[in-house]
Amino acid sequence: FLLMVSFFSYTVIEEFGRIALEFLRKGANPKIYEGAARKLCVPVGMVQHGVEGLMFLMTESSKHMISEVDFMDSVITLGFGEELNQSLLQLYMRHKHQVRSILSQLLCNQPAYHNLEWRLDVQLASRSVRQQIIPMVTIRLLLTSYDANSTHSCMDLQTDPSTLLHVISTLEAALAAMKTSHARRILRNIK
Amino acid sequence: MELSESVQRGLQLLADQSAVDHSGFQVLLDVSFRALLSSRADPTILDQPELKHMDRIHLKQIHAAVTTFILEAVKHNADQSTISSCLEELTFSTERVEIFFNTHQKHKKDIERLLSSIGRRSPHINDVSWRLEYHMKNGHLDKINEPFYLISLNTENEGSSEDINFTCTTEQLQDLVAKLKDAAKSVEKASQM
Repeated sequence: FLLMVSFFSYTVIEEFGRIALEFLRKGANPKIYEGAARKLCVPVGMVQHGVEGLMFLMTESSKHMISEVDFMDSVITLGFGEELNQSLLQLYMRHKHQVRSILSQLLCNQPAYHNLEWRLDVQLASRSVRQQIIPMVTIRLLLTSYDANSTHSCMDLQTDPSTLLHVISTLEAALAAMKTSHARRILRNIK
Repeated sequence: MELSESVQRGLQLLADQSAVDHSGFQVLLDVSFRALLSSRADPTILDQPELKHMDRIHLKQIHAAVTTFILEAVKHNADQSTISSCLEELTFSTERVEIFFNTHQKHKKDIERLLSSIGRRSPHINDVSWRLEYHMKNGHLDKINEPFYLISLNTENEGSSEDINFTCTTEQLQDLVAKLKDAAKSVEKASQM
């Protein structure tokens, strides 16, 4: 693919880069390939390979968080002109965070915390008992899960005041775990 | 307390000294309370020796009426005067009213608890567990190097328990705890009113 890429100008690379990113985000769109192929007067297969190759370059570089220098070193081995190398580097630098965030969504399977809303209620009666006084805290937990798209789920839960205090103290202990010297040492040294 | 005709008739039978003698009265009361509180229905519950001589149909009528009356009394948290005046209207002697009321008081809390547990509610949070993990890399990305929490809420709904699992960052956990503390503070304020 890269041999063919060397024939194209900077704007074409930009265009290909954009297509590659869209590919990452949404999957391949054959119509776009056909449009680009017509504009450049090359066969569709060439466009497709070009885009895929570019995409591979972007994802591998972003995956390993390659520095500028390392990126240039890798690209130089492909034997392109300086201008092309620079435009590829620009493409990488500008988009690597985006690429990383798209890639990170590939993995996240467990729902993540989004927000929590609460309400204090007192139950006064039910169908089977009148004259009650039961305090309870109703909690709406909003979670986001990243499988297909960002699907939001919301759950209504309840708890009584003493369990609420227990939950709070348990989670405060969880937060304190981050501040121990053990945790700090690991976070500092594994980078 | 509003009672249906059949319940009233059943209770009147119970009040009638000629239909139900003294030992039968106490036994019927105990049997009725026990039937409400036991977890399994017992078809032989009315086969008590003190009740052998009584008409079977009357027995069932009385038993149904008494259990209904007990449930209504507990449901509405009826006080002594309400129960007494209700029973007196149904021709209960003072002595029998008192026996009923004492037995009622003995079992009231248990029946109340039973009645409160009936009904639908949101899943109830019982416990929470957590894990702190350090995400280094995965199949798609290297050099992530971020700590994150895995929180598991143990909830229970009508006997079946379910775990709700989710991840969050340190900031998100701080947000979560802050909001829960707000809730706890408002509970405390409300309890002082």
